[in-house]
Amino acid sequence: MEDGQGILLEVDDLNVSFAIQGGRVEAVRGVSFTVRKGSVLALVGESGSGKSVIAQSILRILPRNGSIDSGRILFHDVSAPDGTVDIATLTERDPYLYQMRGGRISMVFQEPMTALSPLYTIGNQVEEALRLHHRQDAQLARAETVEILRLVGFPDPQKGYERFPFELSGGLRQRAVIAMALICNPALVIADEPTTALDVTVQAQILGLMKELQKKFHTSILLITHDLGVVANMADEVVVAYHGKVMEAGPVETIFRHPEHPYLKALMAAVPHFEMKPGERLVSLREMGNENAGDLAQIASRFQARRPLTDGKPHLEVKNLTKEFVVRKGSFFKAGESSRVLAVDDVSFAIRPGECLGLVGESGCGKTTISKMIMRALTASSGEVWMNSASGMIDVLKLHGPQLLDFRRKVQMIFQDPFSSLNPRMTVHNILEEPFIIHGIGNKQERKRDIIDLMTMVGLDPRFLNRYPHSFSGGQRQRIGIARALALHPELLICDEPVSALDVSVQAQILNLLNDLRSELGLTSLFISHNLAVVNYVAERIAVMCRGQLVEMAPREVLFANPVHPYTKALLASVPYPDLDRLLDFENIQFSGADDVSHWGKAFLPSEGSRLAGIEVEKGHFILANNNADMRELV
Amino acid sequence: MLAYIFKRILYMVPTLVLISILVFTLIELPPGDYFETYVNALLESGEKIDQQQLEFLRQEYGFDLPPYQRYFKWAGGLLQGDLGYSFEYQLPVSEVIGDRLLLTMIVTFFTILFTWIIAFPIGIYSATHQYSWGDYGLTFLGLLGLATPNFLLALVLLYLAKEWFGTTIGGLYDPEFIGQPMSWAKFVSVLEHLWIPVIVIGTSGTAGMIRRVRANLLDELRKPYVTTARAKGVPEFRALMKYPFRMSLNFFIADIGGILPQVISGAELVAIVLSLQTTGPLLVTALQSQDMYLAGSFLMLLAFLTVIGVLISDIALAILDPRIRLAGGVSR
Repeated sequence: MEDGQGILLEVDDLNVSFAIQGGRVEAVRGVSFTVRKGSVLALVGESGSGKSVIAQSILRILPRNGSIDSGRILFHDVSAPDGTVDIATLTERDPYLYQMRGGRISMVFQEPMTALSPLYTIGNQVEEALRLHHRQDAQLARAETVEILRLVGFPDPQKGYERFPFELSGGLRQRAVIAMALICNPALVIADEPTTALDVTVQAQILGLMKELQKKFHTSILLITHDLGVVANMADEVVVAYHGKVMEAGPVETIFRHPEHPYLKALMAAVPHFEMKPGERLVSLREMGNENAGDLAQIASRFQARRPLTDGKPHLEVKNLTKEFVVRKGSFFKAGESSRVLAVDDVSFAIRPGECLGLVGESGCGKTTISKMIMRALTASSGEVWMNSASGMIDVLKLHGPQLLDFRRKVQMIFQDPFSSLNPRMTVHNILEEPFIIHGIGNKQERKRDIIDLMTMVGLDPRFLNRYPHSFSGGQRQRIGIARALALHPELLICDEPVSALDVSVQAQILNLLNDLRSELGLTSLFISHNLAVVNYVAERIAVMCRGQLVEMAPREVLFANPVHPYTKALLASVPYPDLDRLLDFENIQFSGADDVSHWGKAFLPSEGSRLAGIEVEKGHFILANNNADMRELV
Repeated sequence: MLAYIFKRILYMVPTLVLISILVFTLIELPPGDYFETYVNALLESGEKIDQQQLEFLRQEYGFDLPPYQRYFKWAGGLLQGDLGYSFEYQLPVSEVIGDRLLLTMIVTFFTILFTWIIAFPIGIYSATHQYSWGDYGLTFLGLLGLATPNFLLALVLLYLAKEWFGTTIGGLYDPEFIGQPMSWAKFVSVLEHLWIPVIVIGTSGTAGMIRRVRANLLDELRKPYVTTARAKGVPEFRALMKYPFRMSLNFFIADIGGILPQVISGAELVAIVLSLQTTGPLLVTALQSQDMYLAGSFLMLLAFLTVIGVLISDIALAILDPRIRLAGGVSR
């Protein structure tokens, strides 16, 4: 054993298992690694790799059915009796455990929405850790809490102290959680997917903040993540876990420049990145068994989308679409003054037949609202949507009755969450048959044949038809969702974040499947995502949205090579690359967020006597700018 | 806050008016009135009736008027705090009810207290020790309490109390105190008799309560903020109380709306079996004999308390849960 100099935490041959009905599941199998003082160790893996279980073991907060079977977790810290303590052997009620939790080892969680109790103020919850570990009088504790809130970037920490979690944005909530983790000045912070639930620009800010504070306090961080881009930007050392075992470990340089293990190599190949050549395919980690290209082409011929006449008109045209929500402000007891919020503000775009348009933006920018209006699930405040269908031009927003029902066949949707978008009480067969029944298509045999073809098309075994959704993995469920969307031979497919709930390797499979199906079936599609790399992989043209407005639209290569709008630039600058030579520039990331207009140039803001309009800076490249602006100011 | 309460009280007016019309109609629905029932009863027992007095009473209480006029007379009286006159007891309704109201409140207050004291610790234990022997055992006991018919339990307990403690059968106090004003000795006697109805009425409610506390707490225990609290080093019990338990109280506060009318009406059937001098049996006989002012005014009292209870639980929820207090709403 080493003498412990410079080493903070040693995990040695750790085995953790969970009791489930009819046996035990081994979640962690013989994992060993060390965390050095003042350094960042990244623990990388997909869901089910046991990475979160390792974190829970270190803090001894495993769920009740989990237990540490063997192994040591040595914590070398001044607080420990004799300087070293084996956390794995502490009893459940050991006083040191409570002293250590939050005091010497603290945790930052994935979901800032649910990691804080909605019933207490931010100040109360952050301060609690401080008062538990350093007995202090209320006033001092409050002053210290306000100070740490200021440090993590609360714009008005005095006020922030009094706020409730639900009154804050996701980014600010995560800052509060970080403040909670740091307030006792711990030796080790375990960050479990700290930025996964956040928008990309907010992610960059939070990563920058963590790095800055880590340097300042000389804290060690155990960073748990599935995102290799985050790892490249944050870690000093990397441990790659798969199915509860360590596949590869080493300094970040070695891991990224000379990956050894096939799993690590495959993981890196599965991530879409911006340097992909047109037509380059992602290599998915595990190919589906029965993907047969010949079959697909043959079956697909029956499911081909009916294309409109090629008369040069766009397949779908959205003109000046606007949606206004009325928000009741104020509190329960006060009569609230209501304000109007423009969720979608005068958005116009067109999609050509067979084209895939990517719609990118951060949460709350209105991208899903647009898709719902096209689907006629929400009523637009004003504007028009025209569809050049095989059966003629359709004024989508004016449809009603039987025409609307008929229109629903033409537009289908693939949803974000494959877990809640399938009814758990229906078999796959029922799920796929339902669209046929609703629209009264075919008899039993015809439907059966179609359903089997649909299953083959999305790469699922037709023998699975009598199973229920819960017996499938996330990726398989998303395939079922895709099959359901294709059942009615739609002309337009709207994909709303179809891969954001999936693991990297599964994401690659689904993206490849969508690309194949799109080209085989000739589908026109609208692909909504917050992930620029994913959109880059599937879309031909990309539209960027910010605060309900479409700020930039360009062909894919143009947008990535030559972004013009400050928002697009900020968005692109915030994407962490899994590449050590292209690290994020933390110094220049705007603290207030990319949609803070005060950083935008004059040309992109409305001024008196002029308004914002779509301006074509080069062929097919539009940006939203002041219509009096000089061309030179823009480019 | 004041504006909100004022608005809510304003909303209560049309609600109560509607309920009063409903109550009045329901009481009027059976054919005849109290006097007919009364006369028939007298005739059956072969007694003579003073027709003149009967006619006088009919006129006095407006029974010769059309129904809507009688409704306004009754409702108008209610507004001035005049609950009307009970024919059966030959006393103003307020006096008939008032006597029993205090006893009912005592019984119900202790019943609710009993339910909470038993249900909360057991519910919390069951939730934190889910699927353990303790959980199953306590749940079994609770279900047993729910399944045992109340009147049966009442009879058994009455017998045991008589055998073991020599408590007199029936009633809420010893017979010697009947008709006497409240005194310390009477109060002690009430306490001696109280535990039987409290246990009988309480057991059925307790089982349901245990299940609800358990289910609500289990939902909350799985929430990530509980893990956050543990990771912060908050001691287990304190973490349990501060985070998931307080969160699970919401359902319970929402229940208050239903508790208030319960406090007044008591458990009617059990009260009859145990011959308790509470308001429950009163309402049953009043409805049977068409003693309309007594029944109607009493039902209105219940309605009023329900509305007030709902208001109180809404305000309490807002105080307890900042999300309700502070969050706005969105209209589509």
